[in-house]
Amino acid sequence: MKTSRRDFIKTAGLAAGIVAAPGALTSWVSEVAEAEAIAAEAIDKNALSYIALNQARKLGATYADIRINRYRTESISTREKQVQNVSRSQNFGFGVRVLFKGTWGFASSREVTPAEIWRVTRQAMDIARANSVYQRKRISLAPAEKVITTWRSSFEKDPFDVPIDDKIDFLLKVNERAMKTNGVSFVNSSMGFVNEQKFYASTDGSRIDQYIIRANPNFNVTAVNRANGDFQSRNFLGGPQQMGYEYMEKYPWMKEAEQAGEEAVAKLKAKPIAPGKYDLVLHPSHLWLTIHESVGHPTELDRSLWWEANYAGTSFLTRDKLGKLKFGSDIVNFVADRTQKSGLATVGFDDEGVPGQEWTLIKNGVFVDWQTTRDLASMSPGKKSYGCLHADSWGSISFPRMPNVSLQPAATNTTMNDLISGVEKGVLIFGDGSYSIDQQRYNFQFGGQTFWEIKNGKVGEMLRDVAYQSRTTDFWNSLDGLGGRPTYELGGSFNDGKGEPGQSNAVSHGCPPARFRGVNVLNTAAR
Amino acid sequence: MLLDEKEARALTDKLLSYVRADDAIVNVSSENYSHLRFAANSFTTSGARKNTSVGVTVWIDKKRGASSTNEIDDASLRAAVAQAEQLARISPVDREYLPTLGRQNYKPVNGYSEATSNISLQDRARAINDVIVSCERAGVIGAGFHQARGAVNATATKNGNFSYERSSLVSLSTTARTADGGSSGYFLRNHFDVAKLDAKRVAREAIRKALEARKPRTLEAGVYPAILEPQAVADLLSFFAFTFDARNADEGRSPFSLPGGKTKVGQQVFDSRINLYSDPWNPELPGSQAAQAGIPAERVQFVRNGVVENLTYSRFWAKQKDKQPTPGPVNTIMESSERAATMDEMIKATDRGILLGRFWYIRGVDPRTALQTGLTRDGIWYIENGKIQYPVRNFRFNQSLIELLAPGNVEMIGAPERVGSAESQGNSAALLPALKVKEFHFSSQSEAV
Repeated sequence: MKTSRRDFIKTAGLAAGIVAAPGALTSWVSEVAEAEAIAAEAIDKNALSYIALNQARKLGATYADIRINRYRTESISTREKQVQNVSRSQNFGFGVRVLFKGTWGFASSREVTPAEIWRVTRQAMDIARANSVYQRKRISLAPAEKVITTWRSSFEKDPFDVPIDDKIDFLLKVNERAMKTNGVSFVNSSMGFVNEQKFYASTDGSRIDQYIIRANPNFNVTAVNRANGDFQSRNFLGGPQQMGYEYMEKYPWMKEAEQAGEEAVAKLKAKPIAPGKYDLVLHPSHLWLTIHESVGHPTELDRSLWWEANYAGTSFLTRDKLGKLKFGSDIVNFVADRTQKSGLATVGFDDEGVPGQEWTLIKNGVFVDWQTTRDLASMSPGKKSYGCLHADSWGSISFPRMPNVSLQPAATNTTMNDLISGVEKGVLIFGDGSYSIDQQRYNFQFGGQTFWEIKNGKVGEMLRDVAYQSRTTDFWNSLDGLGGRPTYELGGSFNDGKGEPGQSNAVSHGCPPARFRGVNVLNTAAR
Repeated sequence: MLLDEKEARALTDKLLSYVRADDAIVNVSSENYSHLRFAANSFTTSGARKNTSVGVTVWIDKKRGASSTNEIDDASLRAAVAQAEQLARISPVDREYLPTLGRQNYKPVNGYSEATSNISLQDRARAINDVIVSCERAGVIGAGFHQARGAVNATATKNGNFSYERSSLVSLSTTARTADGGSSGYFLRNHFDVAKLDAKRVAREAIRKALEARKPRTLEAGVYPAILEPQAVADLLSFFAFTFDARNADEGRSPFSLPGGKTKVGQQVFDSRINLYSDPWNPELPGSQAAQAGIPAERVQFVRNGVVENLTYSRFWAKQKDKQPTPGPVNTIMESSERAATMDEMIKATDRGILLGRFWYIRGVDPRTALQTGLTRDGIWYIENGKIQYPVRNFRFNQSLIELLAPGNVEMIGAPERVGSAESQGNSAALLPALKVKEFHFSSQSEAV
């Protein structure tokens, strides 16, 4: 959606109109609308971007871009019968990125005025110039087409238009349902919404407006055994989505809250896992995180080039393995996709004007491609950017971030029960729990939310204290069963950290339930 | 430029003048930040950010609402207050509401350096170039991160309190890897004063570790005696003082809980030489002058000679339990009550063990025992007969922090040193010693370098 001044005021007015209680309405609406109108009035983004781009060109930049972004967030959190926090925030500013003698410079400010844009552009150039004196490997950019357009993420109901008291009622009902089971001690629930209004312009001539909505609901139910000090919790299984408030209306929240309460209590009495080798059947609410860590991160080209060696780490997928390494079994296919509906990393265009797109990373088990950006393109086999550049704020420099990376379902109609029926001794896992993986993504350990014994093809007793450890390629090569398309679900992370200074990225991972053979399982409570 | 006290007070006064709610706390923060990254022995990204933001929390009939914005013209400030008040009106009663503090007296801390806040671009480029030159000369591939920040934080309440603080931080971390990817070394230091950050030492130590970690051997996973360098201790325990929460303990959700709603206060949980405290005025590690909710920070002893002495009571929980709210923590300081051992003494006293320099991807597994999992990274060594014998491949560990520091497990304790946690990218700092322990639990091998 193009955020013209008129839309801007309309949106602000609408949001205000719905949340305001009678009596308070008039003053609040007028105050908010007035402030936002003044802010919007002052801002002609095209004219402001011209100041930065023209100035950067004059000072010798071979490429420059400016992002003028507004971020709105709303968060509500509750605990049992009380509201703990209701807050809204606004964050507005701009960042200018310049490439001078193959060296990046970036500067940013909250004051979106012509004079400040002029100053900040010079500052970005000063940074690039000071560093360029010592630069060794000059950075070069793959070309991108000039684009002038607007894009809006897919949502039915803008959550910023929904009254706060409806949201509070909803969360308190979730808590009530979770507390229904005897033995539930605590429940926390929350809703978070993000709206990004992003404007991008570059010396390529592109000008792109984007409007993105994401929803991040959550709950966590805890049962405590006060006699022995034991406590167990069960988290929400659904995860964040690039959706509007319709997510709250369509997902079976109440049913899951009640089930979570029952399962938290049951976990206290569940049978401790006996460590050993087990077959695993992993539900999408769990498997998305294993995909994120063991497939999403190692296929980032910047990691393979050691650009992230100091923090996030490098990758065991070195460039000589491309097209050769048997990453997984023949039925393992991973697709990267920045166009997927409800995918948290779905965009119209990335933060350097490259369109969102879909491509294959792992084909029939073989590692075939990377995630790329314009400055990484020359080092990739296709010499092109797949549009993976992203900054989490106007004040952060954009850098390579993960697209939605998803495991493709089987072409059959295989169900989760079909997968379970093929297991003699195994564990069925739902939900993401504790997780940890090394900096090259070889070795990992994952817990979960609920664990169920599988015996002779049937689901049996609940288990507890389960975590599995494996090597990435051993694990994906042990995959021998996938659910069909109807079993495919999206999980995801609202805050995937990477980079220095650390930045956050929202990303989804879709998959069907999948079966893995002979995985090492440990008991996390064992001494 | 950062806001000075007068400018910050003008903003908090203005915000409070718009407040019609019964009670309010407002916050103004302003930041001057810049960074330079390098990787593969070349500069990658470098940037700067200038921001000022305000936060408003109000209570109307004990109902709470909050909002924040970084648009600080009068109309936007007015709108931020109006929005917080609107949210408060439609929120249920905040059962944990306590009136905001009246005027407090703060004893200032000295944690700000102008030279850090306004770091010279040229000096930084030269210093990082020197790091890269050292890497090139040693034949290793360097990557690293330099950041500098000046920050202002001002808080005011409707009941008359006002607090203004400036702080600064500079950090440099470097990873050196041999060209074949076979070994890696890491070093990180930070300070509030750029003059006290030794960039040459950071480069030297990272390079030394990478070179000394070449050709690692594989050891079986299992329980080993271990020496943890201050960095490794920081990766596990930088925020340790912040985990002594009374409410979690009372509610049975903490390693300091006992059955029946009791806690371990007064019990010998740790080795009898271990002392853990928070001190806002430590000259090496200045904390904030204001602890939770603006209470003037004071020194708080959490562990004395291994005995849990205090848990942290929030203002609300203190009222529930008829206690005083805790004026901390604002930092984490651990020291031995006996003479500190040097690293050489620790190595000489080791018959068989592992030397650990850095942990990575540390995540909680079981909060009841503070069980953590994670991996070793960037150089570990096998020690036998009092000497470092050879580098070893990495391990995954599953280790309870309570057991790590338990009586009988701690053998020697070093002198505390200012270190930042690697996972916080040098943004955190703590004063922590090296530790020699009898048992450290490695659960599997990791081939990552």
